[in-house]
Amino acid sequence: MDETDLRLDGNALAGMLADVFGFEMTVERGGCAGCGAVNQLGAMLVYAHGMGAVACCPACGQHVLRIAQGEGRWWLDLRGLAWLQLDERAKMGV
Amino acid sequence: MGRLSWRLAEVAEVRQETPRVVSIALDVPDWEGHRPGQHVDVRLTAEDGYQAERAYSIASAPAGERGSRIELTVERLEDGEVSPYLAGELRKGDQLELRGPVGGYFVWEPDRGGPLLLVAGGSGVVPLMAMLRRRAAAGSQVPARLLYSSRTLEDVIYREELDRLAAASDGLTVTHALTRAQPPGWTGYARRIDAVMLEEVGWPPGERPLAYVCGPTRLVEVVAGHLVALGHDPARVRTERFGPTGVP
Repeated sequence: MDETDLRLDGNALAGMLADVFGFEMTVERGGCAGCGAVNQLGAMLVYAHGMGAVACCPACGQHVLRIAQGEGRWWLDLRGLAWLQLDERAKMGV
Repeated sequence: MGRLSWRLAEVAEVRQETPRVVSIALDVPDWEGHRPGQHVDVRLTAEDGYQAERAYSIASAPAGERGSRIELTVERLEDGEVSPYLAGELRKGDQLELRGPVGGYFVWEPDRGGPLLLVAGGSGVVPLMAMLRRRAAAGSQVPARLLYSSRTLEDVIYREELDRLAAASDGLTVTHALTRAQPPGWTGYARRIDAVMLEEVGWPPGERPLAYVCGPTRLVEVVAGHLVALGHDPARVRTERFGPTGVP
């Protein structure tokens, strides 16, 4: 097994991201700060381990989102995203 | 309203599907319904407080208004943290912590149309089964083809139900590939999914099918790569990678 086997889709982060943002984030679009590619978060490539995960741009591989959870806190690093669009219709419980 | 959080579900039934796979029926109070292809996260907490969570696809079709019941189908991974408990220890009446339904990316509903190309490896068939169950329940005539790779015939999940669905002659065909062993007289594919198979079973790119590919990461990436190389629009090929689990 190598790194390739551990790769998941952004879809795998749906629960964690819904918990934090309150939106069905896998259908939301974001722009990569590295190459400018626009993708739904569900189409990002994800490496998850323990209580954290990193999502990468499927076009250039740049880290677009890092998320970790522990001791009652969430940590988010979004500097790889140039922008993120949230659609009101994807709000949970609406 | 707003954020999604953990809640308790009760196990209503555990059913053996194959030697390594079980389906778990859960009663979830106030379940708001789900869409075919969505998943839930399941969280287990050890006595010392250690927690592990995993995502499991929902196998059942949305049940409509009467539905507080959902079904998950779980494959036991020998070195897994969560699946050995779910697929080995869990009993009727036990409680489970779950979060969901979530996921909007790998979702198909009849109004999305088709034609549909579903490609599964091993337990990757689970979210695709939710789509096929929904399609059948809705009386949808959207043409659909399932190409499903398993190790042996005994490892084929939902075998009888898939036979029944395919026999309904409503536009669904089911094609199996058995990669490790085949029963005497087997006339289906006897190898891993490859480009030739996808061309024979799938739709011509000109028909602009919607493709959903689910299974172990390597299989998903190989299949998605072939589909794009055959001329399918990458935007119409959706993937759900399961990670390193059970390579068929």
